[in-house]
Amino acid sequence: MDTASSKKILLVDDNLFQLKLMEKAFLKEGYQCLKALSGNEALDILNKEQPNIIVSDFEMPGMSGFDFKEQLMSYPALKNIPFLFLTAHSDEEVMMQGLNLKAIDYIVKGTPMPVIISKVNNLLQTVKLQQQLSVEELRKAAQSLNIKSIPDHVPAVKGFNIQFWHKPFENYPGGDFIDFINVNERYTFILMGDIMGKKWKAWFFTFCFLSYIRATVRSCIYDNEFTTSGILQKINMLVSLDGVLQDILSSLSLVMIDMEENRVFYSGAGDLPLVLYNKNQSEIKQINSAGLLLGLMPDGLYDESCFEMKKGDQLLFFSDGIIDYGEQGENKSNYSLFLETITPLLGREDSFELIKENINFKQFPRVQLDDASIIFIHKN
Amino acid sequence: MLLKTTVEGDMLVATIQIKEGSLQNADEFKLELISQISKGFQLVIFSFKEVEYVDSSFLGALVASLKHALSLKGDIILTDLEKNIYDLLCMIRMDKVFKIYRTTEEALAKLVMNAEKL
Repeated sequence: MDTASSKKILLVDDNLFQLKLMEKAFLKEGYQCLKALSGNEALDILNKEQPNIIVSDFEMPGMSGFDFKEQLMSYPALKNIPFLFLTAHSDEEVMMQGLNLKAIDYIVKGTPMPVIISKVNNLLQTVKLQQQLSVEELRKAAQSLNIKSIPDHVPAVKGFNIQFWHKPFENYPGGDFIDFINVNERYTFILMGDIMGKKWKAWFFTFCFLSYIRATVRSCIYDNEFTTSGILQKINMLVSLDGVLQDILSSLSLVMIDMEENRVFYSGAGDLPLVLYNKNQSEIKQINSAGLLLGLMPDGLYDESCFEMKKGDQLLFFSDGIIDYGEQGENKSNYSLFLETITPLLGREDSFELIKENINFKQFPRVQLDDASIIFIHKN
Repeated sequence: MLLKTTVEGDMLVATIQIKEGSLQNADEFKLELISQISKGFQLVIFSFKEVEYVDSSFLGALVASLKHALSLKGDIILTDLEKNIYDLLCMIRMDKVFKIYRTTEEALAKLVMNAEKL
């Protein structure tokens, strides 16, 4: 289970004293507390923020706890938030009324705070375990079908040391995908993408995309098309024309390594800029691309960059989840700050190990809000 | 529920009422926006003044809505973007497909001026 500090609870009670009492107790347990004195106030909060659990008084003037829960049931995004009623009633009929609205449980008023906290902790633990079991079942099914969006290992690429790091959001397989395609002794393609979504829906579509990408790369090579921009445009056309993929968008960084010439070709689709570390000059350079997200427009405006990599040079590319960080309880994204943080770690034999070890930097308190991936290439 | 809307002439101004645009609200947001666009508004000005963070699911919903608007010969304009969000949009080239203005007032003034020229 996540630590309590990452848990947010919404407390709803018209009795300010009771509300403050609960807040104090939950804060002490490391919870982040949202407070509302009425159902309407709680709905306003829920418009902007979603807690992990709601504890609501049952008897409130105006909108009762029952009415409040009934309103939540009409919003798909809110109806499944674990919910506990706090009530003076131990009347079975009243309890049944609430349970029919999928309130998970009741707490009778006057129950000691440590018991209430244990009940909330246990409930969140049960929900989490249930989710983990479902994920595990699906993961097993995917494994048995040999469906993967992240490879098990990196193929050997002569003259280059390639590594990657990937962490899915809440350990669900999600929208990020990575692949390596060794087409012959001279060329290797490396790709990293992010389907714009998370969890199973995005994960499912990563396979459609990966299939398109793998097939298109092979087909382009067969037709002697070796420009990354040309290949991206072909992938984009196929994706744009396919009705099954309507409304599905993906970023993609496509890199081709020419092992004979030690040159790297790159074209991007709505991806973050690549970072090239030049060993001789001890400086970093951002490599930008003009291309749009795959599936956005029939003409993706793809361009190609080409650069040589010399001994000790390093190339990094990232998915957008890597640049999320927390600041005073708020979530932000900042590519420049992330880059500033990792720059001192570049140019060393153990650069990638250092980045991985320090991935939650003090200067950049990264938060895992999305899938996050890094590919690292070191020229030997 | 996620959008607070006002009508300005033949344009719709929609203010997003959430601090964080994420997987939890992306689908609901897309449905609400598409339903507004389908009412026949050619232009939707989309104010991000309450929003502090967006993830890729939410951006995906935003772009899917733009595709829907374009298919109906309409358009979506983004305003009041927090710097981090604006930088992210530019970095992934979304500024090439969305018209972006600093504030809603600036967007409205510009659009009215353009309409008067026609």
